[in-house]
Formats: sequence, structure tokens, C-alpha cells
Amino acid sequence: MFMNSHDNEDKIRERAAHWMPNRDDKKPIRIVTDTTDFFKVQFNDVVQIGGKAYLIRHNAKEGRFGLDDEVKQWVKRSIDLETEESKILKLVFYEKFMASVGQIEFECFRSPRKEARILDLVKDHPNFMHGFSVEDEKGNLVRILDYIYGPPLSQLVGNLTMDHREYFFEHFPSILSKFIECIDAIRFIHEHGEKHGDIRRDHIFVDRESKSYRWIDFDYNYRHRENIYGYDLFGLGNILMFLAGKGDVLLPDLKRQKPEVLESLVEDDLNIVFRNRLANIKKAYPYIPERLNRVMMHFSLGAKWYYEHTSQLLEDLQDAQRDF
Amino acid sequence: MSESENKINKNILIAVDESENARRAVSYVGQLLGGLPGFKVSVLHVIPDPEEDYFPDQKEKDKWLARTKQKVDTMLADYRKILIDAGFSENDLSTRSTLRYCPSMVECILAERDETHFDTIVVGRQGVSRSEEFLFGSISSKIVNHAENCTVWVVR
Repeated sequence: MFMNSHDNEDKIRERAAHWMPNRDDKKPIRIVTDTTDFFKVQFNDVVQIGGKAYLIRHNAKEGRFGLDDEVKQWVKRSIDLETEESKILKLVFYEKFMASVGQIEFECFRSPRKEARILDLVKDHPNFMHGFSVEDEKGNLVRILDYIYGPPLSQLVGNLTMDHREYFFEHFPSILSKFIECIDAIRFIHEHGEKHGDIRRDHIFVDRESKSYRWIDFDYNYRHRENIYGYDLFGLGNILMFLAGKGDVLLPDLKRQKPEVLESLVEDDLNIVFRNRLANIKKAYPYIPERLNRVMMHFSLGAKWYYEHTSQLLEDLQDAQRDF
Repeated sequence: MSESENKINKNILIAVDESENARRAVSYVGQLLGGLPGFKVSVLHVIPDPEEDYFPDQKEKDKWLARTKQKVDTMLADYRKILIDAGFSENDLSTRSTLRYCPSMVECILAERDETHFDTIVVGRQGVSRSEEFLFGSISSKIVNHAENCTVWVVR
């Protein structure tokens, strides 16, 4: 182990200095052991925690739809100075806020303890990010995450250039198969009483090495009401519709590209929450098999019955897979 | 007496929260049964115990709990007054609040009912939108489907 009783701060600085050839030698490398104020943990600092040292590189960013990426000051890309592996350090950031989906408001909060718990739970599961948690000297629960090399699923699908028909018959079956593994992974945590909390298409990464789809970012939580997993299921349904439609099938796009389809729509065909998105995707792409479309219709305004458990969605999707 | 003619008790459990719908449910029971002999009413509020992650530490949770209990006590006293004003005697009324972790509020309410043997449960209809019911569920819809061995009144 790099950090034993004989190691000292000079050794850490020496190792860190190898990674910064153009450094100004007059300014000593800062070693941080209290991460409470994550804004002060900066580029070229070393975070010493749990007997290891991590050289901080950049803050992580998160963005959707290719728009401006939001800098997450509490998420630091770093290098483990012992193994030289890239790691992500997630520092403690508590926040509570009212989120809104469509017109509906609900209370959300971020919890390091939740993420740490799930990391332990999924440490051997191929469909989740991996890592561990450790407390700094002030008791802040820092999560140290393995880097996943590969794009978010949203980007992978967004970058495919063929038309929908070719995509649907050539690529979608294998994508669906891997996405079903992801749903089963969510079933696994639900069965252990945990929610993912922030299920989105850019929170699945496609691991270039293992080829697995892997969930990231489970520090979010929401105050559930009657149906504890409803919001997670809604996220899964939205990703399914995104994958089947090779992107969201939006009404303004239909107006431009398939006005006859737009004309044929009734309110029941729309996404139950996002009213500018089509849920009855078979109307836009008639070759979509009925059984798959029926699953997606559970997320439409016309739905008479909603999924309450991941296992129900899984069962129907596995059934729908037989058509491919 | 055949099975279908089992004698029911006249104990009514009103499951409430701070919403206008709950107040309507209390008021309905008051207007319907106030002054009639033999009925006993219990007004129940289950305080959903937030997940441990909701608070940064125990101190924050204790503060929240003290605030919430105070609010709930005031609410239950108010509902009690509605029923007394409608003709119920103090001896036939009780109120109860309990802190429970509730993955499902309906299951918590039904668990309370199982412990207390009330044959009728009254809830207010929430009136949530379809989207909201889809995302977060509806207590009144679910309790109708899940309650066994008791009658459910949904007041709108």
C-alpha cells in the first residue's frame, strides 16, 4: 500500500509532481484531508483519504442533449497516486429541492449515504458503476468510483446515422436485450428496498470493455407517496420509448416529417407526463411489434393500468422480445 | 347466520392528513353519523417516517419530528372538534398519530386497522391527476383494491 506509516506528505507530493510537469515549483502541492468545502478542493490538490492519495484533475460535467454542460463542483476526476488509475471522487453535497416533471412537483434530495449503500449492494453487479465509500477526517462520506470508459447510452443511440427501419431491425434488438438487463438491475435494487432515484438515458453508460450497460449516479432520492417505485418506473418507460423511437418522437418533429401521423393522433397516444412526446410509437413506425408497443402504451395517457413493480415491466418486455 | 351476514361492528376509522379532502371525509362522517348511538370513531394520521437519507444527521431529524408532531396534534384536535360539533360524544372519539416508515401508506393504514379491528375505513378522495397517480400512486384508489375484511368509504 502506498500510504503506510513511513510515507509522508513529501512522498505524496513527489508522486503527484510527476503528473504536473509544468507546475510552478514555488507553490507547494496542497494536501486536503477535510473535503467539507468542495469548492476549495481544486485542480492539482491531493485528497488524502482512507489511507490513499488522489490527485485532483477536473470537476465532472453533466449535460443533456448536447447543450451546455453543468459543472458538478462536488464531483472530481482524479488519479489514484498508488495505482495510477483514474477515479471519480464524489464529495458530500446535501441538497433538497422541489423537482418538477411536467406540471407535477415533488421533493427531491441528494444523499451520499444512499449512494454508498447501493455501491456496497451492487459491488459485484455488472450493470452498475462500481466503487466504495470512505469518510474523510470530518466524517464526510466520500465515494470513490471506478471510471467507466464508454459513452452514455443516449449518445450511442443519438450517434447512429441510419434510418429508423434499419436501426430498429439491425440494432434495436441487441440494445433492447441489454436494456432489459438494466431493468433487471433496477429490479435487484428495488427488491433490496432502494430506488435509483434519477433514471435517465444519460445515466446508463455503455462500458467499452465489458460491453455491459451500467447505471451511474444513485445519490438522488425522492419523497415517494403511494407508489414507492413509480418515478423509477417512469424513467425506465421513457428510456424504452427513446430506444424504440431512436430518440424521443416529438410532436413538432412529426408535424414537419410525418404530418399524416400527427393528424391521426388522439390524446391517448401521448406520453402520460410529457404531452409533446408520442408513446404510441407504432403510429409513427408501423413495423413496431404490437407486444412491444403495448408495453410502451402503459406510459401513455390512454393507459388503464400502470406498472407498480419492475418485475411486471420485465415480464412484459421479455414476452415482447420474442418478436425479434 | 350465513357468512355473508357476519355482524359488522360500528367502529369507523378515518385515515387523514392535512389536506382538504381529509377534512371533507371527517366532516362527512360527522354529518352522517353524528348523534347516532353505537358508533365509535377513531381519527388516524400516519406520519410517514422519511428514509434515513432524508436528513443529514439525527439532530435534523429530531427537529423535524418535533415540528411535525406539533402540527399533527393541532390537526387532530381540529378534526376532533368537527366531530364533537356534529354530535359525537367525547367518549366515542379517539385520535391517534403514529410514525411509521411507509413504502406504501395504504399498507400502513391497513396495518393499523388490523391492530384495531375497525370494520369501516374512511378516506378522502385525493383528486390527483392521472399523471400524478401514474408517477406517485393514489391512496384512495389503492386502498379500495387492497383492503380486505372491511368496507372502505371514499369521500369526494
